[in-house]
Amino acid sequence: MKRYDLIIVGAGPSGLSAAIEAAKHGLTVVVFDENHKPGGQLFKQIHKFFGSKEHMAKIRGFNIGEELLKEASAVGVNVKLNATVTGMYGNKEIVVQTENCVEHFKADSIIIATGAAENVVTFDGWTLPGVMGAGAAQTMMNLHGIKPGKRVLMLGSGNVGLVVSFQLLQAGCDVVALVDAAPKIGGYGVHASKIARCGVPFYLSHTILKAEGEKFVTGVVIGEVDDKFNVIKGTEKHFDVDTICLAVGLSPMSQLLKMAGCEMEDNAQKGGQVPIVNEYGETSVEGIFAVGDVSGIEEASSAMIEGRMAGVCAAEYLGYCNKDEMVKRHTKLEDDLESLREGMFAPKNKGKNIELTEEGIPVSKSLLKKGYISEDEVESFPGVTHKKGLHPVIECTQNIPCNPCQDACKFNCIHIGEKLTSLPVVNEKSDCTGCGMCVAACSGQAIFLVNEEYDEENATVTLPYEFLPLPKKLEKGVALDRSGNVVCEAEVVDIRSTKVFDKTNLLTIKVPKNMAMSARFYKNLDTQV
Amino acid sequence: MSENRIAEHPILGIPEKGKKIKFTFDGKEVEGYEGEPVAEALKAAGLMVHRYTKKHHEPRGVFCAIGRCTDCVMVVDGLPNTRTCITPLQEGMTVQTQYGVSTKPE
Amino acid sequence: MNNVNDRSRNIGPFIPESDDDMIICRCEEISKGEVRKAVHDGMYTVTEIRRYLRCGMGLCQGQTCSKTVKRLVAKECGVSMDTIEPATSRAPMRPVAMMVLGNEIGGE
Repeated sequence: MKRYDLIIVGAGPSGLSAAIEAAKHGLTVVVFDENHKPGGQLFKQIHKFFGSKEHMAKIRGFNIGEELLKEASAVGVNVKLNATVTGMYGNKEIVVQTENCVEHFKADSIIIATGAAENVVTFDGWTLPGVMGAGAAQTMMNLHGIKPGKRVLMLGSGNVGLVVSFQLLQAGCDVVALVDAAPKIGGYGVHASKIARCGVPFYLSHTILKAEGEKFVTGVVIGEVDDKFNVIKGTEKHFDVDTICLAVGLSPMSQLLKMAGCEMEDNAQKGGQVPIVNEYGETSVEGIFAVGDVSGIEEASSAMIEGRMAGVCAAEYLGYCNKDEMVKRHTKLEDDLESLREGMFAPKNKGKNIELTEEGIPVSKSLLKKGYISEDEVESFPGVTHKKGLHPVIECTQNIPCNPCQDACKFNCIHIGEKLTSLPVVNEKSDCTGCGMCVAACSGQAIFLVNEEYDEENATVTLPYEFLPLPKKLEKGVALDRSGNVVCEAEVVDIRSTKVFDKTNLLTIKVPKNMAMSARFYKNLDTQV
Repeated sequence: MSENRIAEHPILGIPEKGKKIKFTFDGKEVEGYEGEPVAEALKAAGLMVHRYTKKHHEPRGVFCAIGRCTDCVMVVDGLPNTRTCITPLQEGMTVQTQYGVSTKPE
Repeated sequence: MNNVNDRSRNIGPFIPESDDDMIICRCEEISKGEVRKAVHDGMYTVTEIRRYLRCGMGLCQGQTCSKTVKRLVAKECGVSMDTIEPATSRAPMRPVAMMVLGNEIGGE
């Protein structure tokens, strides 16, 4: 039986990070993954990540994936693909199934980084072709260039539901509604706002009653629910759709750990059955670690840090580095991880009803219910100011750990400070040059450059634009407000696409002066549906 | 090109694909790209129903797209229960709708 | 012993519901009503239900339905979901052809 110092199961963000860290310390590492390609779900993540520089913020997920792969190959990590681990035993033996055989391997240490699986929800017709996981839709469009459907209804307002809805729009699909049984939106407000201003309606406190169709989905009926999640009669609404996407959470794929005899717990906050691990990610079985979503559902940024932590701990466990060295590295990683676990959406705040921001500003009710901030609410946030000439308007209203906007502005217009979760403050004394770096850097696409007095009658609004076809200079279309309603005619004054903007185009539109604080999206009615 | 394929993506650009090849689905010739999952090529061709279940003869299609749920299985080159979402397409492949566990409607 | 396994408990009669024919286990085509009825037949754990009905024993090995089954069992028993033990985990965790399974390297 072949032996390794360290076997890692899963070549996603956490598994690869663990492998890199361990290989750097000299361990012989092998990573098994059941897929044809490494990277886990990272290559389906086409949005810019949140966080700070240390967390690779404002870099798109698939680019982070490419960086990880480069780093892994540079330090000699051996990734075996099409290799499904179908069993693990407490003596640190695993069973791997490849194309034509079943092979056993042993290691002195094992790191399980198997990730998570999508949850399902049942309703009449849920087994019809056309009903699919949001992850399935993401796989089709972002990995294989195939549209999941023409008209899609999304169930679930967590970050997955919101992000995938935006990606469906980017792929050229129509998202007819975003539905969630919960009374408020679960994911980041900025993600919701991105799709709300494109005109996607939100139906909170609604659930799917029925998927219609004989052989495949042709329509869907939703209905409103009361506070006990019972459907209210007479509230049924019908949509013609060919696709229904389910984004109703993830569950850790922890079966291997359970099989190996690791102590498990059922932890609803972590998404289900998870191993009980110590601060280093080590399970109750010495030398077996669990990192990433399998030890509790979070996100790729924290999974990568957890992976590195377990990697260095495995190195220390096997004597490849001394305790002091390990603790030093671990403390640094712990700090990075803790800074990501702050703010309104932190694991510790899950399920809590937060009504005020850290700054004491009331959280936008409209944002939580409809997906966009109302015009009067937006004025209460420190990123929204008014002055003569060009200035940034930052519609960032929830405390999330993210600060690329501060780094992007070389003219000190934007201040967040030491605390990553603080809302960005616009410094009215600094002069905005209109470079647009902040607009492109904002992972939540929540920054606009506004010139409230462009000329006698008009204002200009510069907004992030990630759709095709790109509008052309001088073309005329319509401006949409935050809710996706057409509010006025708009003329394209400028469209900027440079390499540093990383595919976020900066579209400047001219609108009547009184629309400066309303117009937040643009549509050309001739080229777009 | 099939209207279900994304010609150019605002972030990912023009999808990278293998060589254009032909395969058969229930005896009909269909085009796809070498190496892409069979299910994706079928989706591009507009196919929704991959199989009919054994007990209730209900239609099923792609559900998870990553080889977990096993709902998209079909008979590929004579082999039933093949997960089409993770099986790379090859020139000349024979893909058939699966009824229960065979190619014949029950 | 955890109270889920307490056979002497009375969980009341099986009351039919309008959506009892909805499929829960997609692979083995087991309905919600069948799972609920199994609980009233005395199957209080996911493992028992699995053996009784085969839900979670199809091609996907319970990847899709296990949480839903667990939720149903908890509801019928009137207990919270986290008190229900999940089904036993054992190899193989993905579908494997007999031909491949027979070709074993480095086993005992």
